[in-house]
Amino acid sequence: MKYMILMLGDQNTMMEVKSREWILEMIEFMGKVDSDLTESGELVDGQGLADPSQAKTVRIQDGIPVATDGPYAEAKESLAGYWLVDVEDEARAIEIASRVVDFTKEPIEVRQVMDAPPEV
Amino acid sequence: MRELAPQVLGTLVRRHGQFDACEDAVQEALLAAALQWAEQGVPDEPRAWLMTVASRRLIDTWRSESARQRREETAAALELTSPAEPSAQDDTLALLFLCCHPSLSAPSQLALTLRAAGGLTTAEIARAFLVPEATMAQRISRAKQSIKTTGLPFELPPSTERADRLRVVLRVLYLVFNEGYTTSSGPALQRAALTTEAVRLARLLHQLTPGEGEVAGLLALLLLTDARRAARTEADGSLVPLAEQRRDLWDAAQIEEGIALITRTLGTAPVGPYQLQAAIAAVHDEAPSAKETDWPQILALYGVLERIAPGPVVTLNRAVAVAMVDGPRAGLALLGTLDTDDRMTHNHRLDAVRAHLLELAGDLPAAREAYLRAARMTASLPEQRYLALRGAQLG
Repeated sequence: MKYMILMLGDQNTMMEVKSREWILEMIEFMGKVDSDLTESGELVDGQGLADPSQAKTVRIQDGIPVATDGPYAEAKESLAGYWLVDVEDEARAIEIASRVVDFTKEPIEVRQVMDAPPEV
Repeated sequence: MRELAPQVLGTLVRRHGQFDACEDAVQEALLAAALQWAEQGVPDEPRAWLMTVASRRLIDTWRSESARQRREETAAALELTSPAEPSAQDDTLALLFLCCHPSLSAPSQLALTLRAAGGLTTAEIARAFLVPEATMAQRISRAKQSIKTTGLPFELPPSTERADRLRVVLRVLYLVFNEGYTTSSGPALQRAALTTEAVRLARLLHQLTPGEGEVAGLLALLLLTDARRAARTEADGSLVPLAEQRRDLWDAAQIEEGIALITRTLGTAPVGPYQLQAAIAAVHDEAPSAKETDWPQILALYGVLERIAPGPVVTLNRAVAVAMVDGPRAGLALLGTLDTDDRMTHNHRLDAVRAHLLELAGDLPAAREAYLRAARMTASLPEQRYLALRGAQLG
């Protein structure tokens, strides 16, 4: 079963508030998560996204699509990055997410990808 | 060529153990065969060819790894063996049991079975499951490592465990089949190969275990279900429910084979869930039109299934049969008993069936709500679209 593991939270605030040591640890930690998931054969994809301040959101204004600066959600609730994993069950996806949350203290949304086959 | 893969692998593992090294060697031999035979044609003794190439690869692996003495012993053992193996059938069966060992996770069982017993390449399996090749390669590698570390033996399970172990193998084949039984476009073409592979392996298993009723039952079920594949989806990938399928698109030969198989199996072995499901599929498949379906017989069969293998999904399906025989309200009443079943809490099927029965009963607003609830809960995109469309039609 495939799950999106969505890292939410404001990178900006994190970068400003955390110490240099913490940031270096985080980089190492993220690298470890990636390599562990690769090693276990569960990683399908994983990416960090650009800072929410760099995002643009396209909406209809007066009937036409218009792009404005900024993310869709509040910066502190924006998507910072994701993993796409192929795991045995939801419990495992939650276990992976828990490991990350335990470190970052930022929330993570776990959502199943709709790739289940229709039933016979 | 792929049929030879498990035979060659089985023989090698029986002789040398080291399932993981042998499996790698056979994979490489298959790849070499694919290249060479395409250019030079298939050799007179393809199995012997594969055995020779795989054995050489094994020796190469050991030569680079281990001590001189071990290398010499092994090389000597390989040279002494004759190509014809009387126990090839037992070896293939042992291989299937090993790949489906209960200590392995379900995804690992599927991947390993497809590679070691099915002879599919890692790339083919990865494409079929829509993951990168590296991910699948790692999964298979870990599964083989797990077999090695646990020290799982390459042998048929003892008779006390056989029934349970066989059930796991059947379940793996069923899961492979279900993965492939999907739409007709794009990457799903690779997924259709999974259906074919599941049927092929089920056939193989049936040949190896002719007295096992449930194996025959599974094969019949897969044949009878696969027979409907062309009618099951439209060109754009959308689902067509059984009652609306064009039966002229069903594979008549496969239906005939499936019906014959389940007919001669029933009564020769203790009845089991796959046999019963096959019997139900046979009743559906032999009806010339949806209207002519013998629902009372299906209801009776579900009654038996519920006694020997009860569960919420069986009850769900029986509710449909009840509705067809005694009217939708009777079916809905039965569904009510599942409302408090924990196993059905996050399952879209309860609402999907309820929606269908409510629609039959003429309660369209309630049916629409149920379709939409089910659409939100399913993890299958084609199903979600189907349910959403049905709900929208009633709005």
